Amino acid sequence: MNPIRDAWQSVFRRDPLSTDKGKSELVFLNVWLHIHPAKVKKENLKVKHTFYLGFITFFLFIILVTTGVALMFYYRPHPPQAYQDMKDLQFVVYLGNFLRNMHRWSAHGMVICVFLHMCRVFYTGSYKRPRQFNWVIGVVLFLLTLGLSFTGYLLPWDQLAFWAITVGTNIGSYAPLVGGRIRELLLGGHTVGEAALLRFYVLHVAVLPSVVTLLTMVHFWRVRKDGGLSRPVWKLKEEKPAQLVTIGAPEPVAVLAAGPASKDKTYGLMEVVTGKPIFETVSMEEEEDTIFSYPYAFFREGIALLVTVASVMAVSIFFKAPLEELANPAKTPNPAKAPWYFLGLQELVSHSALLGGVVVPGLIVLVLLAIPYIDPNPSRRPADRKWAIRAFTLFVVVNIILIVIGTMFRGPGWALVPPWVHIAGGE
Amino acid sequence: MKRRSIVSWGSAGLVALCSGISVSLAAVLRFLTPSVFYEPPQDFKIGNPADFSFGPPTFLADQKIFVFRDREKGFAVANAVCTHLGCTVGYFQSDEQFHCPCHGSVFSADGKVQHGPAPRPLEWFEVTVARDGQLRVDKDHIVPASYRLMV
Repeated sequence: MNPIRDAWQSVFRRDPLSTDKGKSELVFLNVWLHIHPAKVKKENLKVKHTFYLGFITFFLFIILVTTGVALMFYYRPHPPQAYQDMKDLQFVVYLGNFLRNMHRWSAHGMVICVFLHMCRVFYTGSYKRPRQFNWVIGVVLFLLTLGLSFTGYLLPWDQLAFWAITVGTNIGSYAPLVGGRIRELLLGGHTVGEAALLRFYVLHVAVLPSVVTLLTMVHFWRVRKDGGLSRPVWKLKEEKPAQLVTIGAPEPVAVLAAGPASKDKTYGLMEVVTGKPIFETVSMEEEEDTIFSYPYAFFREGIALLVTVASVMAVSIFFKAPLEELANPAKTPNPAKAPWYFLGLQELVSHSALLGGVVVPGLIVLVLLAIPYIDPNPSRRPADRKWAIRAFTLFVVVNIILIVIGTMFRGPGWALVPPWVHIAGGE
Repeated sequence: MKRRSIVSWGSAGLVALCSGISVSLAAVLRFLTPSVFYEPPQDFKIGNPADFSFGPPTFLADQKIFVFRDREKGFAVANAVCTHLGCTVGYFQSDEQFHCPCHGSVFSADGKVQHGPAPRPLEWFEVTVARDGQLRVDKDHIVPASYRLMV
């Protein structure tokens, strides 16, 4: 016997990849890959169906964890050392600036990609039965992403950080009854100070990433259990396909009936039990459109990973993450702006803190969470859901307009200014 | 096991579980609430009355207050923290108003909201003379804008 071959086979206990059995075993005998099905539908690999936004978001999260842990080696969450460590990362630590840039730009990228992913899922109606709850988990993950960005924003302890968090946490204190208490709990004090920095640090590097990791696992697992990705909308038929028979439908007799039902399969347990399966049934005709995950799906995911990492690296070489002067509680920069993804919120807040900072965002979150349950339309075809698409598009457009106004058209004293003030370097 | 004992044991268990969870949650909240705040004191001395000039208010950056001194009316201390979202307002001699850099709130010299999103006028703090003759400001004592200390 060949000992090397033995050792290899003790690790990879699958048949050779030249066989179909080997290709299947590669997926389901591997703890890292078994979240994939052994075979996937060809149409689901199409870029124009998903734009791989979920994958890209996940890869950005991986980059963020990796670079974040690296940055932790040189960071002390205490003022003013925190700021000194930023300067060290900029000028002293080997690759420090590059890693910080990567962390910053991936964070921005993740906010964008989570949002775009949500848009894709909405426009393709993929939150509909049986995926309602996965949409809810997705919205929570979106909020956690914003929370990660917000807590990370304070850590450099520069003027930008200090005032963005001062403004941001004061928005929270407008919440009726509990607002002030939430702010005190979050800051560990009454103003943004050393206690706040430590709390934000712990939330940023331990609490929130753990919750995001757990929920991401649930999110992926449910995608798989709900029958993989939803079908592309262009594949949807006019009427609801009536020929699909669900195993375990009304009469228990149908379970054993060897009629049309035998042409279908489910992803449920392969045992005869009573009750209705919750999963979509897939007819045998579609089986022909499937291909092995290895190599086709893995190859495409690998490409998406490479493109994501390469893009972040390229951006990080050419664009520096901003760092202003040391936080100074006595001097508010003018204008004091929150991170760009909160500038729409800040724009609303500049009109009314309670309405713009608490009521409107609160309602938006509630409606987003409830979308799968308040949308009564079972159809996923865009032609059948014109009003849903219009309403969501309005939401997206208003968001973008508010963010653009807040970013480009607001100058000192939050007065309206033309955008070229910023380009000319009005600071 | 009798049905009655299942119900009684079950409900007792449920009550124990719920109270256990509630107590734990309360303990977590209490744990996260600091027992000591390592923050600057709310009650502090700002120096002798003679240190402050007449005319435009003196801004004390560390305490975030404006000290007004008027020949006829005496001393008054305004909070420099905007009532909207906590940015530090600036006093502009040109129009004798406070301007907030964050969201454009404007306050008159006596702290009233002129325009912008601020929901309340600026706060005024009690200022007294301490035993050693220094001025003493107490941020826990909010006073009406008309409050003045004659020295």
